[in-house]
Amino acid sequence: MSEVVLESVSKRFGDTLALADVSMVVPDGAFVVLLGPTGAGKTTTLRLIAGLDRPDTGNIVIAGQSVLDYTPAQRDVAMVFQQYSLYPHLTVRENLAFPLKSPLLNTPADEVERKVRAVAETLRIPHKLDNKATELSGGEMQRVSIGRALVRQPQIYLMDEPLSSLDAKLRAELRVELKHIQANLGATMLYVTHDQIEAMTMATHIGVLEEGRLVQFGAPRDVYENPVSTYVATRLGQPRINLLPADLFPGAPSGAETIGLRPEHIVQGEGQPATVLRVEHLGDQTRLHLRFGGHEVVTTTEVHSHHAQGDEISIRPQSALYFDAAGTCMTTGA
Amino acid sequence: MSESPITRMAEATPQPLARKVRGLSDRAIAWIFVAPTIFLLLAVNIFPLIWTINLSFTNFKANRPNREVEYIGLRNYERILTDSDIWLSMQATAHFLFWTIFFQVLIGFTLAWLINKKFKGNDLWTTIIVLPMMLSPAVVGNFWTFLYQPQIGLFNYVVAFFTGADPSSFEMLGSVQLAPWAIVIVDTWMWTPFVMLICLAGLRSIPDYIYEAAEIDRASKWRQFWTITVPMVMPFLMLAVLFRGIENFKMFDLVVQLTGGGPGSTTELASINLKREAFEKWRTGYSSAFAIILFVTVFGLASIYVKALNKVKDR
Repeated sequence: MSEVVLESVSKRFGDTLALADVSMVVPDGAFVVLLGPTGAGKTTTLRLIAGLDRPDTGNIVIAGQSVLDYTPAQRDVAMVFQQYSLYPHLTVRENLAFPLKSPLLNTPADEVERKVRAVAETLRIPHKLDNKATELSGGEMQRVSIGRALVRQPQIYLMDEPLSSLDAKLRAELRVELKHIQANLGATMLYVTHDQIEAMTMATHIGVLEEGRLVQFGAPRDVYENPVSTYVATRLGQPRINLLPADLFPGAPSGAETIGLRPEHIVQGEGQPATVLRVEHLGDQTRLHLRFGGHEVVTTTEVHSHHAQGDEISIRPQSALYFDAAGTCMTTGA
Repeated sequence: MSESPITRMAEATPQPLARKVRGLSDRAIAWIFVAPTIFLLLAVNIFPLIWTINLSFTNFKANRPNREVEYIGLRNYERILTDSDIWLSMQATAHFLFWTIFFQVLIGFTLAWLINKKFKGNDLWTTIIVLPMMLSPAVVGNFWTFLYQPQIGLFNYVVAFFTGADPSSFEMLGSVQLAPWAIVIVDTWMWTPFVMLICLAGLRSIPDYIYEAAEIDRASKWRQFWTITVPMVMPFLMLAVLFRGIENFKMFDLVVQLTGGGPGSTTELASINLKREAFEKWRTGYSSAFAIILFVTVFGLASIYVKALNKVKDR
């Protein structure tokens, strides 16, 4: 059992409120992705759970026990730091073996070597094992940092943008690998990312943070389809949701200030006219940048679209999201 | 011609000079700039060194400049290496060198480690601790002779207070057994802050997040100290030892002020012995040879040490 519960946790650094009254239940074996811009409190949340910082108020419960007075070692968490935090005077092998050599684990030497090698294979760095940690590229350092978390089997994994400095191909491979490892071990994982695809494909739950407050927590599809506010709506979706004045289209409910249109909410070929500004062929999708009533609207179209700049097409909203003046979502259900 | 600032500048340069400077290669201009320094270096460093080597093969005595100078080959070197006085002074130097470095590293690192903890007023403490090394060695030597006074000295009083012995029952500077330790104590008092400062720089260069990672990796404080702190401070510590080693190999002023090499010749370090041979006994050729031997020794030791230092840094 390694359920993680945050109970009204607040944390202040000097004058800035990093976390304000955050409550969250992370079920055992869940994969939680935390979303939010820089400074929203994602890293602070991880550090509090790890035990590197102490909350000012509130309680943190791991596996049914309050861990406020526990050291990071007692909490048995593994963390991938944003800035890698490798031991610069050690080789990659020594870095990976470091957590295994904890007296708390007391792993035999051949076991250490076997595990280090296995993890290095997973992360595709076996040829770098004898390099010094400082002689690696950014992506390699990041992989060593992930490896250091994966060599042991802790109760909880905390990962702070672990794939951010990898190239697209490796990122896609490791995304699958990480999800696989997490599912196999049944470990609880808290994961910070800016990457849409990572959030949508890996998470069982998504938590959206805004200036230290947890504004929405739920399944990825649910957060995507029923965002509580314009803020949450802009966190997910590629291309981003189009936020337009609600009165541009007929049929807005009373009190609606903003209409939120994701590409799938825009029906092409009927409705009001729009001008094509730009066509982007991304390979797996084609994006249309449209000018519509003085606003720019981005949507997708079929891959082999023959639209060109200056074309006139007509569009119509379908089961769109409506938000009131405060940005709160008025629509329920997609 | 247009009146931009650049063209005006170019016109302002006198034509003949501009042409001359333009005629020189970059290399030639570089040589013109370094020439004064090279000349000074040759005049005050290299020439005296070569001249000393030359003198070390002669029986020249500087107080008898008119006497005919004879080249006597390696006889000076032979005599030095078989002279028991010289060996005694080398032993005194080795004793001084070893124990000063031992205590300064031990105490200096400990102080640095303590002062690196985040507590109120640690900057003030750093300044206070560093004070001794800002004093002149001659002054330090002079006032420690008072502290070591058997009748009125504070040092004797403090030792007596803690051990219960009679303060005038021992003389730090007058006793054959205690004098070598007396100079070790004073040098340690004066230069431990230096080692501390360098260790502190080393400790401050270790980022907090390394310790955080170690916390997460479940390393105890003890293990963090031995696997992170010590190896990462080691290059700094070795540098401090190099500086102190070279300095103390040629230690002169402080010890002359304290003991003058006595009692007997128990604190007569190599450099004090050398000064005696050269400017009291006026055996210029002989002392030149001794100087060369000392130079080669310290140069050799330092080179080996620097190699080791680089190895630690690359590790």
